[in-house]
Amino acid sequence: MDGLILGLDLCDGYTQMVCDQEERTWTLPTVVCKKKNEDQWLVGEAAFAAALTGDGVMVDKLVKLVMKDGTATIGGIKYGGMQLMAQFLLKVLALAREEYQTDRVKRLLISAPKVDARLLECLQRCADYLGIPKDKVSLISHTESFMYYVLSQKREVWNNQIGLFDLSADNLLCYYEMKVQRGMRQTTVVAEREQMEESFSLDIIKTPPGAKLADKILCSCAGRLLQKKTFSSVFLTGKGFEDLGWAEEFMKLVCARRRVYGESALFAKGAVYRAADLTREKTAYPYVCVCEGRLDSNVTMRVLHKDQENQLVLASAGETWHEAGKEVELILDHQDYLEFIITALDPKKKKTVKLVLEGFPKRDDKTLKVLLKVGFLDERTMTVAVKDQGFGDFFPSTGACVRQEVML
Amino acid sequence: MSVIVCRPEQVVHPYYVEGLGVNIHSSQEFCYAIYHHPMLFLDKFADQSVIDFIRDELGMGFLAARMEQRIKTKEKPEELMLMFMQECDYYTGAELNRFRQTVTSFRRMTPLEYAKAKTDYLVRFKQYGKAITGYEAILEEADDKKDDLFIGKVWNNLGACYARIFQFQKAMDAYEKAYTRKKDLKILEKMYHLTCLCPDLELKDRYRSLVSQQLKEQWDKDFDQAGEKAAGSEELKKLDELFQKDSIRRAEAAGNLVEEWKKEYRAMG
Repeated sequence: MDGLILGLDLCDGYTQMVCDQEERTWTLPTVVCKKKNEDQWLVGEAAFAAALTGDGVMVDKLVKLVMKDGTATIGGIKYGGMQLMAQFLLKVLALAREEYQTDRVKRLLISAPKVDARLLECLQRCADYLGIPKDKVSLISHTESFMYYVLSQKREVWNNQIGLFDLSADNLLCYYEMKVQRGMRQTTVVAEREQMEESFSLDIIKTPPGAKLADKILCSCAGRLLQKKTFSSVFLTGKGFEDLGWAEEFMKLVCARRRVYGESALFAKGAVYRAADLTREKTAYPYVCVCEGRLDSNVTMRVLHKDQENQLVLASAGETWHEAGKEVELILDHQDYLEFIITALDPKKKKTVKLVLEGFPKRDDKTLKVLLKVGFLDERTMTVAVKDQGFGDFFPSTGACVRQEVML
Repeated sequence: MSVIVCRPEQVVHPYYVEGLGVNIHSSQEFCYAIYHHPMLFLDKFADQSVIDFIRDELGMGFLAARMEQRIKTKEKPEELMLMFMQECDYYTGAELNRFRQTVTSFRRMTPLEYAKAKTDYLVRFKQYGKAITGYEAILEEADDKKDDLFIGKVWNNLGACYARIFQFQKAMDAYEKAYTRKKDLKILEKMYHLTCLCPDLELKDRYRSLVSQQLKEQWDKDFDQAGEKAAGSEELKKLDELFQKDSIRRAEAAGNLVEEWKKEYRAMG
C-alpha cells in the first residue's frame, strides 16, 4: 500500500471516516478527553467513558470551537481549538493507520457542513502535526461530498434531479438537491443545500408521540420539496435515518415513484471518492461542479492580445473559492480603471463591475503597470487588490493601491 | 483604451542601457526604451548581450534563437527590433508601423546627418563628453563639405556641450564658428550670455558691433529671468528642505545627493 486515502466527515456531533482501500467506516462522537494527571488523550466513546467515570476532562463541539477561535481549559492548561482538533484528528487517523499498518497518508479530504476559512486554516495547520504534507489535506462542503458521492454511482441514479435528506446528530434537518445540466459547453453539475427551519431533537423519536410528530414534520418538508419535480433518486443520511421505523408516512411519500437509498456515511464516502480522484492524473469527473464552497460565476476581464480583444479568466465557475484567484501584472493604456465581467451560469445574468484606480499616477505611453490580485473570502465575495508597480527605472512605483470587495 | 497582460518574467540580471542610464527589468520596459529611443539601439540590437538578455532573463529562448539565425544572415537591426517587439505584444500593429516609419526615416539620412542625430541623442541624456567626441568626428568628416547650415548646427551643438561642462572658452570658440556658418542671431545671444556667465570672456569687436543697445537690454533681461527661474527651481527647493532636516538625516540625504551628482557627472564623460 503506497499510502492511505481517507475521507472524513467532520461534524460537531459525530465524525465518520472512510478509507479508499475497502468499505470500512469508523463512526465516533467528535469529542476529545484528556486524562487527569496524565498526558493521554482519548476520543469518541472512550472519551465519554473517561469523562463519565471522572478520569478525564472532555471537550465537545470541536468544529464550532475552531470556527469561533475558542479555547478550553483542561487541568489548568488552556488549549486552543486547533490544538484540540489536532489531538482529535491524530487519534482518529490512528485507527486507519493501525488497521492498514501504514503511517503514510496519501490524501486526506475532510467534509464539513460549510467551508469556513478558519476551519480550513486550522486543518492545514494540523497537517504537520498529523504527519501529512499540507497540500494533501483539503476541505470540502457536505454539498460537494454529496455531489461526488452521487456522481460515483451508476449513471441511472443521477439522470434527473437527486434529493438528499440529512437528519444529523446535531439535530439539524438539511435538504440537498443536485441536478446535471447537459448541453452546455461542459456538463455542469449544480448542487444546493437548504437548512430546514423545521427541525427537532433526535431524542423525541424515542417516544411514539414524538416519533409521530417528527414524521409529520418530515412529511410536510418532503411534500413541499419534492412536488412537481422528477427525481432519479432520493438519498437519506444522518443519525436520524439509521432506523426508519419511526418515519412510516415520510417513507411512503418519498418512495412513491422514486428510488430511495439510505447511506449512513454518505458525506465521508463522497469525500473519499473525491480524495481518490485527486490522486489520479486525469479526473473521473470531467464536469463543472457548482455548489457550496465553489464559485458559481466566471470572472473575466477584457484584454488586448495580438491586436485582438480577448478575455482574461480570473476565476472560473466550479473552482473552490479558497483555491480560486489570480495574480497578474497588467499594463493600462489610457485607462484609469479595471472592469470585471461576472458571468453566472445563466449567461443572461451577466454584470460588469468597474474599479476606478483612485490616487494612481497619470502616466501615458503604456507605462502604468499594476499588480492585480484576485482572491475570495467565500463563494460570493471576491476581493480585488490593485497596486502600482511602477515601470522599472523609468517610473518608480508610487505605492498607490486600491482594495475592494465585490459581491458576485 | 486597453489592458495588456504582462508576460511573467523573472529578470535577475537586468540589461543596462548606457544612453538612458537605466536598467531594463522586463520585456515591456525594453520595448518602451526601443520605441522611444530607437537611435540608441539601431546599431546595437544585434549584440550578443541583447540576445543573451532576451534568452536568459526574459525567457524567450525560441525568439533569441530565431534572432541569432537572422543576425547570421545579416538581417537589419531594425527588423530584429520589430521582431522582438511583435513577440512581446506590448505595442499594437499600428504603433509598430509608426515605429517602422520612424526608423526608415533615420535610415534615409545621409551618414553625417545620421551621425549628428545619434550624437544629439547623447546630448539629450547629458552624455556631453561622448557627444563632443561625436560632433568633432562629424566636423572632421564634413571638413570639405559646403553645407554651411548643417556644419553651423553641429558647431552650435558642440558649443552647447562645452557650455554644459563649464568649458566656456571652448564653447565661445565653437559658437563663433557656428555663427560664421549660420549667421543666426540666436547664436550671438548665446555668445553674449557666455560673457555674462564668465566675466573673463569678451565678445570680439566684430560681434559686439552687431549687438544693439536694445538687444543687449533684452538679453540681459532674459538672463536675469533665467537666473530667477533657476533660483526657484524644484532642485533648489529640495536642497533647502535638506538643510532644514536634523543633522543625521541631513548628512544621509546629502550623501545620497552627492552620490547622485557624481553618477550624473561620470555619465557626462
